[in-house]
Amino acid sequence: MTRRAHRAATAGAVGGSLVLLALLVLPVGALVLRGGGAGVRLLGSDEALRAALALTAACATAATLAAVLLGTPLAYLLARDRMPAGPIVSALLDLPLVIPHPVAGIALLLAFGSATPAGAALARLGLAVVGSPLGITLAMLFVAAPLYVSGAREAIARVDPRYESVARTLGDSAWRASWRVTRPLAARGLTASAVMMWARAASEFGAIVILTYNPKVASVLSYDRFTAFGLSGALPVAAVLVLLALVPLVALRSLRGDEQAEWGGGQR
Amino acid sequence: MIELRGVSTLAGSFGLDDVSFHLPRGAWGIVLGPAGAGKTTLLETIAGVRQVRRGTVRLRGDDVTTTPPERRGVGMVYQHAFLFPHLGVADNVRYGARDDAYAAEISLRFGVDALHGRPVAALSGGERQVVALARALATRPDVLFLDEAYSALDARRRMRVRHELRTLQREQQITVLQVTHDFADADILGDLALLLEGGRLVQAAAPELLFRHPATAAAAEFLGAENIFAGSVRVQSLAEGDEPATLLFEAGELALAAVGVHPGGTGHAVIRGEDVTLSRERPAHGSARNALAGRVVEVRIHGVLAEVSVEVAGVVLIAVVTAGAARELELVAGASVVATVKATAVHVC
Repeated sequence: MTRRAHRAATAGAVGGSLVLLALLVLPVGALVLRGGGAGVRLLGSDEALRAALALTAACATAATLAAVLLGTPLAYLLARDRMPAGPIVSALLDLPLVIPHPVAGIALLLAFGSATPAGAALARLGLAVVGSPLGITLAMLFVAAPLYVSGAREAIARVDPRYESVARTLGDSAWRASWRVTRPLAARGLTASAVMMWARAASEFGAIVILTYNPKVASVLSYDRFTAFGLSGALPVAAVLVLLALVPLVALRSLRGDEQAEWGGGQR
Repeated sequence: MIELRGVSTLAGSFGLDDVSFHLPRGAWGIVLGPAGAGKTTLLETIAGVRQVRRGTVRLRGDDVTTTPPERRGVGMVYQHAFLFPHLGVADNVRYGARDDAYAAEISLRFGVDALHGRPVAALSGGERQVVALARALATRPDVLFLDEAYSALDARRRMRVRHELRTLQREQQITVLQVTHDFADADILGDLALLLEGGRLVQAAAPELLFRHPATAAAAEFLGAENIFAGSVRVQSLAEGDEPATLLFEAGELALAAVGVHPGGTGHAVIRGEDVTLSRERPAHGSARNALAGRVVEVRIHGVLAEVSVEVAGVVLIAVVTAGAARELELVAGASVVATVKATAVHVC
């Protein structure tokens, strides 16, 4: 490659990157600039906004905890190729990520609506899915848990299985070795996956709005304000949502930085 | 103590194939073989880390083929140590120990106590290997697997660790199976040497026997034999069963008298360089059956030894002599020499 061609290629790469960054940052930046201040002030006076944010955080946390409890063993089995029909299970796990989220809401309604056997059984236990925090949590779990399982699987797969082999020759059972060795070695990756899932769950709209319009989570409230009051009504709520979404993302980046600094990429 | 009968395993697309051998209690076995021969897979299979597809594994006389690793009472030390990076050095050593005092004693014995204050990430490769060795020994295993376990140590430390480990192994009658590329380990430590190739056990014999009588030409090459010739073998005396017979090996103009066990037909002649004697004139009276006149092609001095390439009967024969002998005999390229080899030093396989 000639020097001129090299310069042209570099300029093209930098220019392309800047265009993409602008496309991603400009809308969010405009939103925060125009609505951020009002949104923060609104937090002090708008009870509905505070309630929606609290409900969003609580449901996203519950969904994330459920995913961690139920998804970590699954991620472990997938990472260690011990899951029967692993490729099929992996494909099924990816499905919620690629179907439109309102479709996911409809699917959940079909599975857990009050007219369905599962929905009726849950309702008899006092656990109605439609129009309840349980429904919101379920919708969040459905759309965001695959992100956790996928990230957790990668985090576990990065831990060389021979650490476990050594632990087993030192007297640990398979489960004890995975708990004493693999879990701490994958901990940061698992935490990062959980944070990512929480952020995705907190921003979910499509599946939730089908299953539970009321009580309102923050994303539904933002949409509700837009339809009722137009852009000016939705802007402060939307800006607050963006600012809150930054918190887990910043935490995520610092976690990854710490991981690289602490173990330097594994054994030398 | 360790007994394998017809063991086959699968590790990805590779596996062990029909491996059988017996290593008595308190013996030290050496596993040799080229990269990818299945050496680590063999250790992992006996340790229970890999599943056996066919055959049986016995430890202490008990069938442990399906016993999980944690109930086999074995220790495993990998080349890469695999110290747990979230634990300190002392906690690594204590990890599987039932007795902290014994773990401390082992630490002291192998010089690991000096590393206790340091994080695992700050240890050198050699230090990690010694800590991993102490961690395995702290569980008091009576079977120990070493996979290039002290290859990263400097020569002085390696000698110390080897000596300490040998002493402990004798004290406690530990059965050791060690993968190594260091032939010195095989010579110094080995009671039994196992040679693997492509997942198959090619040969199991005392190290001296393995080096002098490799089963195949590939084994001879791996074990560093300087001269390997392909040709045909004729059996010249009658022998029963495994009794050695006198053989005639021929490869083009080269004809070598040999003693060994061979059915005849195609084969290889293997001669170690140190078994070739060089002189400037044909010896008048000697017992060596092979005296081959030739011309020196090249002389390479390696410290106190000289590797002399001699062209004889259309092939190049390498002799390893002392550098002093090479000087005294004035061995330079073009010099006429006679290479003598005893028939018993010609191994036909």
